[in-house]
Amino acid sequence: MSDWFQDLWAAYRSTLGFAMVNAFFSLSTYAVLSAGILSFATVTYAAAGGFIGTQLALQAHLPVLLVLPASALVGALLAFAVALVFLRLDSHWMALASLALVLITRVVALNATPLTGGVNGLSVPLFFPFAALAGLLALTAVVFWRLSNSWYGIAARAVREDPAVASTLGIPPRRIQTIAFVVSGAVGGLGGMTLALMLQFLSPETYFINIAFTMIAAVVLGGSYHWAGAILGACVFTALPVIAQAVLPEFEKVLNGVALLLIMIFLPRGLIDPRGWKLRRAAKSP
Amino acid sequence: MSLFIEQLINGCALGSLYALFAIGFGLVFATLGILNAAHGTYASWAAIAAYWAVDQLGLPFPFAMLAGVAGGAVLALLVDQIGFQPLRARNAGLLGALITSIACWIVLDSLADSATGHQSLSFPLPAYPSGMIHIGEIQFATMQGISIAAMLVVTVGMHWLIRYSRFGAAMRAVGWNEAAASLSGVNPRRVVMVTALLAGATSGLAGVLGGVTTQNVSYTLGEGLMLKGFAAVVVGGYDDVRGAAVAGVALGVLEVMAAQYISTSLRDGITYALLLGFLLVRPRGIFGGVAFTRA
Repeated sequence: MSDWFQDLWAAYRSTLGFAMVNAFFSLSTYAVLSAGILSFATVTYAAAGGFIGTQLALQAHLPVLLVLPASALVGALLAFAVALVFLRLDSHWMALASLALVLITRVVALNATPLTGGVNGLSVPLFFPFAALAGLLALTAVVFWRLSNSWYGIAARAVREDPAVASTLGIPPRRIQTIAFVVSGAVGGLGGMTLALMLQFLSPETYFINIAFTMIAAVVLGGSYHWAGAILGACVFTALPVIAQAVLPEFEKVLNGVALLLIMIFLPRGLIDPRGWKLRRAAKSP
Repeated sequence: MSLFIEQLINGCALGSLYALFAIGFGLVFATLGILNAAHGTYASWAAIAAYWAVDQLGLPFPFAMLAGVAGGAVLALLVDQIGFQPLRARNAGLLGALITSIACWIVLDSLADSATGHQSLSFPLPAYPSGMIHIGEIQFATMQGISIAAMLVVTVGMHWLIRYSRFGAAMRAVGWNEAAASLSGVNPRRVVMVTALLAGATSGLAGVLGGVTTQNVSYTLGEGLMLKGFAAVVVGGYDDVRGAAVAGVALGVLEVMAAQYISTSLRDGITYALLLGFLLVRPRGIFGGVAFTRA
C-alpha cells in the first residue's frame, strides 16, 4: 500500500507542484477580475518577481524565505505603476494594453541580459521544500478568503457589476481597482518566484503569453466569482494535459482544447458558481 | 538611396501582411466584441490550404490563393458558430468568448502542426510568381508587389463597405448594440456570420501571402502575424480600417528600417515600445475618436 502511494507521489509530485504555482497565477488574475478588469499583466509581475527575486538570492545571497516577500513587493510596486497608466483606459483597451505589456515583457527579458541572462537564461540553484510551497499557497488563500468578506471585497463586487452604481453608493471605483491591481501584482510576483523555484531555470520564454492565456482560462473554468474557483481551475488546468497525455498522447493538445471548449459552452460560469448555488437553494425552499 | 527605397518597399510589403491581418482582427473586435486568440490560426490554415492546392491538386497560383482565402473564411465561420455562437445566447461577454477562442487556438494550432508534419513547408518554386519587378534602378519581388496591391484593394474595399454601404451600417449597428440593431430590422445572426467570413478571408489572404513570401507554411506563421497584427490594431485603433492599415504598414517599415539601420536585435523591441508609447499617449489609436459610453 505504501509502495503504491510512493510511486504515485513520485509520478505526480511535480504535477502537484506546478498546480500550486499555477494557482498563484490564477489567483493573481482573479484578483483583478473580481474588480471587473480583464488583465493579462500577471505575466509581467511574475517575470519581475521571478527575475529580481532570483538575482536577490544569487547576488545578495538572501535566504529564500526573504526572497519570496521581496518578489511579492516587486510585483506589487510594478502593478501599482501599471494601474496608474492602465486605469485611464476603458475595458476593451485595457485588455489589449495588458496583452501588449506581456509582449514587451519578453523583449525586455531578452535584452536586459545582466538581470535575466538574456537568451541563455538563468539557472536557479535554490531549494524550496514542498511543504513550504503548500503553506504559502494556504496563507495566500486565507488572505483571499478574508479579503472577499471584507469591505474591500464587497466594494469590488459592486464595482465589477456596475462601476456607475458603485460610485453612487460612495465606492470609489478607481481606488478599488488600484487595490485589485496591487493585490494581483503581489500574488503574481510571488507566483513568478515560486515558478523559478520549481523549474530551477528561467528563460525569456518562461514568462510569456501562454501563461497569460492558460491562467485566464483556468480562472474562468474554475469560476470567476469565487477565489476558490481560481485554485480549482489551476488544478484542473494542470491536470488536464497530464490526463490527456495518458489517454491519447498524439493529440494531447487537441484534447485539452476540446475539453476547455466543452466546459466553457456547458458551464459558462465555471465549476464554482456561488450564484448558481444560491439560485438552486432558493428554488428548493418553498 | 536605392537601397533605402528598396528597404522601404520591403517594409511596405511586410507591413501589408500585418495590415491585412489587423483589418480582420479589428473587424471581429469592433463588430462582434471578441478578442479572438484563434485569429492567427486562420492565417496558418489558409497557407496550408493554398499549399495543398498547389502541391496535391496542382492548381495555378491565383486559384491556390483563392483556395487559401476560402479556407480561412470557412474556418473562421466554423470557429464562430461552434465556439462563439453558444455563448452569444447567454451573454457571456468578452471573457467567455476569449476563453473559447483560446480553446480553438490550442486545437487548431496543434492540428496545423500535425498537418504540416511538425515542420515548416515552403511553396515549390514554379508554383508562384517568383520574378522581380524593375523600375529604374529599383527592383523588388513580384510577390511583394502583389502583397502591397492586395492590401490596398482590401483596405479601400473594406473601408467603403463599413462606412458607406448599407450592410456596413448594419455591421456598425450590431457592434454598437445588438438588441437595438435587431429592433431596427437588422438580422444580427447574418451580420455576425458575414463578419466572421470577411475576417477569416482577410486573415487567410495575409496567411497565403505571408506563407509564400517568408517561405514558411506552419503554425508559427499565424503566431507571428498575430503578435504584429495585434500591435497594428492597438496603434491604429480597432474600430477603423484605415488606422489598422496605416499602422500595419508603418510597423512593417519601422521593423525593416530598424533592422537595416539600427540593430537587428532591437527589431521587436522598437515595435513594442511604439505600441506602449501609443497606449500611453493616444490609447484610442491614430484615427480613434472620442468614446461615448453609457455611464
